[in-house]
Amino acid sequence: MGTTFRLAWRNIWRHPRRTILTIIAIGFGCALLVFSIGLQLGQYDLMIANSVKIFEGLVQVQKKGYLEDSKIRTSIPGVQKLADKIRTETGLTDVSARANGFALVSSETRTYGTMIIGVDPQYEDKVSIIPGLVKEGRYLSALDAQELVIGKSLAKNMKISLGDDVTIMGNGRDGSIAATILPVVGIFESGTKDLDRNVIEIPLGTFQDVFSMGDHGHSIVLYHRDANLVNRIQQNAQSLINDKEDLVVLRWDQLQPGLKEAIELDYSSGWFMYIVLVAIIVFSIMNTFLMSVMERTREFGILLALGYKAFNIGKLVMLEATLLTIVAVLIGTAIGVGVNYYFYVYGLTLTGMEEIANMYNMPSTITPQISFNSVFIGPAIIFIATIISALYPAMRIRLLEPVEAMRKI
Amino acid sequence: MLRYKRYMISFFLLLLLSMSHSAFAQPDARSIIQSSIDYYRDKSSYSVAEMVIHRPDWERTMKMKVWTQGVDKSLVRIIAPKKDIGNGTLVLGDDMWSYTPKINRVIKLPSSMSHQGWMGSDFSNNDVAKADDLVDKFTHTLVDTQKHEGMDLYIIESVPHEDAPVVWGKEIIKVREDLLMIEQEFYDQDNQLVKKLTSSDIKLMSGKLTVSTQRMQKADKPKEWTEFRLFEAEYAVTVPKNMFTLSNLRNPRR
Repeated sequence: MGTTFRLAWRNIWRHPRRTILTIIAIGFGCALLVFSIGLQLGQYDLMIANSVKIFEGLVQVQKKGYLEDSKIRTSIPGVQKLADKIRTETGLTDVSARANGFALVSSETRTYGTMIIGVDPQYEDKVSIIPGLVKEGRYLSALDAQELVIGKSLAKNMKISLGDDVTIMGNGRDGSIAATILPVVGIFESGTKDLDRNVIEIPLGTFQDVFSMGDHGHSIVLYHRDANLVNRIQQNAQSLINDKEDLVVLRWDQLQPGLKEAIELDYSSGWFMYIVLVAIIVFSIMNTFLMSVMERTREFGILLALGYKAFNIGKLVMLEATLLTIVAVLIGTAIGVGVNYYFYVYGLTLTGMEEIANMYNMPSTITPQISFNSVFIGPAIIFIATIISALYPAMRIRLLEPVEAMRKI
Repeated sequence: MLRYKRYMISFFLLLLLSMSHSAFAQPDARSIIQSSIDYYRDKSSYSVAEMVIHRPDWERTMKMKVWTQGVDKSLVRIIAPKKDIGNGTLVLGDDMWSYTPKINRVIKLPSSMSHQGWMGSDFSNNDVAKADDLVDKFTHTLVDTQKHEGMDLYIIESVPHEDAPVVWGKEIIKVREDLLMIEQEFYDQDNQLVKKLTSSDIKLMSGKLTVSTQRMQKADKPKEWTEFRLFEAEYAVTVPKNMFTLSNLRNPRR
């Protein structure tokens, strides 16, 4: 092995220029893959973080069965106390309790059926961007304040503006008629149609009072900027509610299956591009290897005539290919990670994104993801693909006839 | 020429005959439904009833007074429990209003809400408001005749007209010979049973045979139901003229 290895290493550097060009080709492809996979995964992280921050949160604690059939009676007792417990015992700051209901809301002239969300004004801005997106008026002020904020489209449909009274009528938790009249103190525009058209938020205390909820609520919403921590946060929350069997902790992909599907779809279309990229690299490498085998036909002929087995020559060629690829992949990956790290620290701002991001209260820079997957998936694929492409030239050696081969130049 | 004319006449006669035949088969089932609804609603009525909403983990009972006139006017007033006293619902034709004394407001229910449960029950707002749709917006066919407590029980399949604003694919209605509606099944567009209204406790009330208990049961939730039970009922009563008005709905003493 020692001799074969040394022989292979020397053979590689017999044509330094060609070898370096091949290394650059593989290395560049590798760096590009590491960068774009990192960026793509980073973009998904941003997408998840932004989407969950709109309303649903990264993780939610709910009563079992509430997600499938959202009934007002499927509620969590002592919801604020439990939220406080999660806040203090996990050290997570972005935790807020909510209650949800469906009601008839009417203005002087119009009546609609909408979602009524009871929120804790003190914490809601940590788990949702809606408090920051009040375009007219202000957000809810206190837990028991008699006031509401309403989505812009809904306000328009109902023909109401700031200060107008809205009548809310629905069924309470005990089945009784829940009804109240609250003034509009704020109008929000989240950019998400469903929310702007269907949601009214009122303080949690007011909600519990109107809908006869006692100290019950329907969900505890947890948010964290880094969506990759979702499993750890889920486990953290789970460990705190283990004594209550009928509660469940749901992840964002369970709360918003549509978002997960969109990401998966985008991911698979991204793969198409990577496969093309890998194919181009592979063909250029195959060319190099084929060349280096063909021009050494005479050399191989002599080796064969001396009794060196075709299998061993094949092994030698494969080893050359492997060494070359390892060197190239290492350099390429290092460069790719370096670039990703730079943008990870300084952020990548796309032109035009800042304005849109500001409008919807979102961060405007993408940071590439640096994780095991984002760093190693690309290089691993290139490595495997190049080794496979080196197989063909190596196999050709078996076809050589010693006498004929020696006569070739 | 004359012969040709004679042919034409006999042809028209045949045509008329065949038309009248099909026209004769149709109203039969339809008139059963029509008479049944007329019998049930009477000219007017006053009743005291309770509605029990049953769920696996809880149950709720509301008592109410109900006034009706014809098929398209009714007023419901809650008299118990204490928390809900005075709440009312007024139905005039296709329109429905709700009143809550807590906020002293009347709300007109938008048509988009017509499939929501009425006061949290398994009866939809539509079930409460649009009983007479059944006659006008459906085509009725008598599919079978069975027996119920010694009387003939007509099984009628009612399919909504193509352009009717109805969510059901069809309804199967079972009406007894004495015009009591025994059962009403609601099927969706794929012919799957969605919910079923069954009658029981048939007894004399103010001298008239009346179904005193009706249970609405959703097909996919066997443990949940709503029962409407009549305590007393009077028929063909004189109802004050202003009974079915918004101002009366607003007056919770009524």
